[in-house]
Amino acid sequence: MSDAAVHTGSQMKLYGCPTCGRVSQLLRPPAGDAPLLCPRCATPLHHRRPRSLQRTWAYLIAASILYIPANLLPIMSTSNVFEGETLHTILGGIEELRHGGDWMLALIVFIASIAVPLLKIGALLVLAITAQRRSRWKQVERAQLYRMIEAVGHWSMLDVFVVVLLVGTIRFGALGGVMPEPGLLAFGAVVVLTMLAAGSFDPRLIWPEEEDKDRPS
Amino acid sequence: MTDPLPSTPAYAPHAPAVARTSAALAARPDLVVCHECDAVHERIELARGTIARCQRCNALLGRGHVIGTEKLLAFAVASLLLILIGNSAPIVTLDFQGVVSQATLPQAIEATWAAGQPFVAVLTAATALVFPLVFTILRLYLLGSLVRGIVPRGFVPAMHMLVFVTRWGMPEVFMLGTLVAVVRCASLTSATPGIGLFAYGAVTLLITAITAAGTHTLWKRSGEIGGMA
Ligand SMILES: [Zn+2]
Ligand SMILES: [Zn+2]
Repeated sequence: MSDAAVHTGSQMKLYGCPTCGRVSQLLRPPAGDAPLLCPRCATPLHHRRPRSLQRTWAYLIAASILYIPANLLPIMSTSNVFEGETLHTILGGIEELRHGGDWMLALIVFIASIAVPLLKIGALLVLAITAQRRSRWKQVERAQLYRMIEAVGHWSMLDVFVVVLLVGTIRFGALGGVMPEPGLLAFGAVVVLTMLAAGSFDPRLIWPEEEDKDRPS
Repeated sequence: MTDPLPSTPAYAPHAPAVARTSAALAARPDLVVCHECDAVHERIELARGTIARCQRCNALLGRGHVIGTEKLLAFAVASLLLILIGNSAPIVTLDFQGVVSQATLPQAIEATWAAGQPFVAVLTAATALVFPLVFTILRLYLLGSLVRGIVPRGFVPAMHMLVFVTRWGMPEVFMLGTLVAVVRCASLTSATPGIGLFAYGAVTLLITAITAAGTHTLWKRSGEIGGMA
């Protein structure tokens, strides 16, 4: 469908509320710089969320930096009387599952812990850069990409839950135990930061308007 | 949503609902604005089981509801009971040469806190336990009142909170995490899945079904009862 056939909220002075979905038509603008609030639920109304790209960049940069210790540092340690203490990284844990013959689970953990965070960081980079350039390149595909990272983002929390459960369950004193290690903290922070980055990105920036008053900055 | 608007409609003649701002904002219940690309569509009634997508960006704009309100209320009641069971029953029981060890989710969170990882403990408590629980209680509170024809006290703040806990609650990820943990334990010693695991599995299904029903019906019902658009 050509863009010319579409009427947009900004052209028609219509605001869709992000919380309740109410559509409001602006008949008279607010006095001064009073914020425009949804009459039903008081959520601020914008054609484009303010400072969306700055926030996305900030969370994205923080997530990319923490991604390194999240993968290099051990996320847990196991100990028992026979072998002493062993440190485990995320990749090491996947290796152990694969060696144990659990191909399926090794693949699931690989997707959730390695592929999804990398994919999210890469996809958010593409979305933020193209939005900044007000690009009209592959808009439907980029919209699809945005929906995909929103849908899969929280699955990366998988390894955090696994370690917490192992710490809680494997408690045999001197015979054996599991402890969480600093890599887990970094990994949990990466998951939260990438979710915040995706949540800050306003997908409407994929569709720049000719005479866009709220230019992304 | 069939087609985008053929032409710009005339401004609504009726008086706008003014609230909190000096701006005049008229309700346009006849329209839908895509939350992902700002395209304007005419609102259409959706048949049961059908979905509406944005003509421009393909975003999901609405669903024709398959599950009725009374059933959703029953789901929420079941979900609350199962969350309580899921958090008091062990998720996995280990037997290591006669020494038995087992843990519930709150115990695992507590052990993580005690092991010097309070941030991870809080993160897990929030996303696996507190948010799904608050989600269920809010749904019970909101639906329970609305089916009796009452707009509950604090409806709007409760709806804002519902949006937040829906986004940040992760029962389905936790469910998969329990399965991975059981398999990893089984490679060390004999491991038996506990009642907690099955209860959480059921909670995941119920919360997924309730989430799929969306929040539009709640807003609509409260509007009809409250007499506003
Ligand atoms: Zn609203
Ligand atoms: Zn759209």
